[in-house]
Amino acid sequence: MNFGPKIQTRLRSLAPTPVASLWSIAIARIVIGVLWLFSLRWKLPPDFDGGSERSLRQWLQLEVEHPTFAPYGRFVETVIQPNFTLFAWLLFFCELVVGISLLLGLFTRGGALLGFGLSLNLGIGLANVPGEWPWAYVMLAMWHGVFFATGAGRAFGIDGRLRGNVLNTPLRLLT
Amino acid sequence: MSANSPATPSAQDPDVAAAPFMPARTGSIAISLLRITLGVIILATWWDNLQDELYTGDGLSGLIDWLFTPSAEGGNGSTLSLYERLLDTVVVPNAGVFAIGQLIIEGLFGLGLLVGASTRAASIGAMVFFSSLFLAYYGGDEWIWTYVLLFVASLTVFLGWGGRTLGVDRFVANARGESPRSLFW
Repeated sequence: MNFGPKIQTRLRSLAPTPVASLWSIAIARIVIGVLWLFSLRWKLPPDFDGGSERSLRQWLQLEVEHPTFAPYGRFVETVIQPNFTLFAWLLFFCELVVGISLLLGLFTRGGALLGFGLSLNLGIGLANVPGEWPWAYVMLAMWHGVFFATGAGRAFGIDGRLRGNVLNTPLRLLT
Repeated sequence: MSANSPATPSAQDPDVAAAPFMPARTGSIAISLLRITLGVIILATWWDNLQDELYTGDGLSGLIDWLFTPSAEGGNGSTLSLYERLLDTVVVPNAGVFAIGQLIIEGLFGLGLLVGASTRAASIGAMVFFSSLFLAYYGGDEWIWTYVLLFVASLTVFLGWGGRTLGVDRFVANARGESPRSLFW
């Protein structure tokens, strides 16, 4: 069977070889994009209430009660909690951006960098909360590092098409 | 068959390294770091479980009981009753045997992933293990995405031949060629 060069190239990238192919990382990128979007459901504006689940406000209170580092707990208590609505909107927006970026493979390096920061924040904030498993946040941060390092949006993502068009602009750093 | 024959390209093969869309070496290193992280996580948890005496008949039965006890009564509140029945009928009556098996197998997965030895077999085992945990914890208080993250990491290590870079598998493949059906290294 004779495929065109473009299809041959694509088939070749899907073939199992002893060298890692980006498509296996791209699958993870899509799954973790869904994870971020799914996590928005318990911090939906305007009240950021979790419905039957623990709300953002309750999670912040747990971070204050069980801080991994005392200064972090004090920061949440004195800066974030008094300005809850502002920070809740900021968090909602950041998680939405990361989720969409990873799901679609759009400006993936930018999304991955933001996601890495959010993962670290979650890890630092929740590591000492009873019932939390800090390794989950280590793995989450690790994944974002992998997406950033590999430019994971270039397979099964918009970045693959976009990169040629933004090659001469600063935006290429985000793809 | 030699690991460097055209049918089984090695990491040094420029043809393979020129795979599209990515710097192949960066991807291989990234997946290896993922593998090492996964190994560290499994071994650290294994050690914690060992200290907590979870790898004993009583420890394992107690864990299963806690998983399916409602949250209001201090349990995890997992909801998959079909899986609960399976654990109650198969695992709990033989908890001592399963606990020892889990002690050995979990330790081997962790070690294999950490050093990149028999990585593909270890990652398949890890996928089965994390799927089982996903089903056991589903619907409860635990953040269920933890097991999705770990499963996807194992899958990526498997698909990305995670032991061929910064791992023992690289030397084994060079010395002995490909493993049967490429399922071990």
